[in-house]
Amino acid sequence: MLHFEDFQPGQMFDCGTYAVTNEEVFEFAGEFDPQPHHLDEEAAKQSMLGGLSASGWHVCAMAMRLACDGLLLKAANRGGSRVEETRWMKPVRPGDALRMEIHIVGLSETASRPEIGFVKMEWRLFTAAGHVATMIVTPRIAKR
Amino acid sequence: MSPQYFEDIEIGSKRNAGSHTFTADEIIRFAKKYDPQPFHIDAEAAKTGPFGGLVASGWHTVSMWMKLTLESRQLDGNPGSTVRAGVSPGFEDLRWLRPVRPGTTLFYTSEVVEKVVLKSRPEWGLVKSRNEARDGSGELFMSFIGKGFVARRS
Repeated sequence: MLHFEDFQPGQMFDCGTYAVTNEEVFEFAGEFDPQPHHLDEEAAKQSMLGGLSASGWHVCAMAMRLACDGLLLKAANRGGSRVEETRWMKPVRPGDALRMEIHIVGLSETASRPEIGFVKMEWRLFTAAGHVATMIVTPRIAKR
Repeated sequence: MSPQYFEDIEIGSKRNAGSHTFTADEIIRFAKKYDPQPFHIDAEAAKTGPFGGLVASGWHTVSMWMKLTLESRQLDGNPGSTVRAGVSPGFEDLRWLRPVRPGTTLFYTSEVVEKVVLKSRPEWGLVKSRNEARDGSGELFMSFIGKGFVARRS
């Protein structure tokens, strides 16, 4: 079980891959983000994204699952309350596989809560072809 | 309402996107798939967790913002804008300020805070919005700065 003291800037955790299925892209977008570029192949071709793609919120949700399985559930994790920035840089297509690396980029403490610390992470999601699709910068809370 | 272009959007304009009441079943269903931390999927285990009970995944509460915002645009009779104006390069400063427990009702709003003309994409502008979710007594539960491309008229 990893605690705050076990994290250092520069560490990288490989969280493995998530298969982005057609069915799941439609299911998520149908429930939360029913825009034509996520649901309608023809309309998607005409859009800025040039073809069907997963909702950015779905990409964040898939990233969260990779983070849970790859790191957070193996750590003395107390959740997170902030995302500093998310950049949706390239569309994520149905049929692709997203691979995620978590890079530790900073540590901070707070005098008011001596039992915890903040572990600032950069979640980098790559397409199967190796392009960075999404970047998420988020501090997570770890027990000391 | 006719389709809105970048030029039509006013800084300070505000949209009420509607509300949603989170149930234990949907909190657990979302989190089992995407965010299986014990305090999101197991009411018993959650009692001894950081929130003292079951709470919704933050990704669930923010995804609900997207759903309600799109529904409110449909009510405006402006669904066509979703093809040309729905794409986003990302967001900034997302804060989950209070835990969303089963039975919590959140009211979602968006306010335009900045318009950016893009040299690299002359046919598009970037609109930034401050998006919030509050409960019925006005307590702030979630906020973030969203960004979206909107087509320019000329």
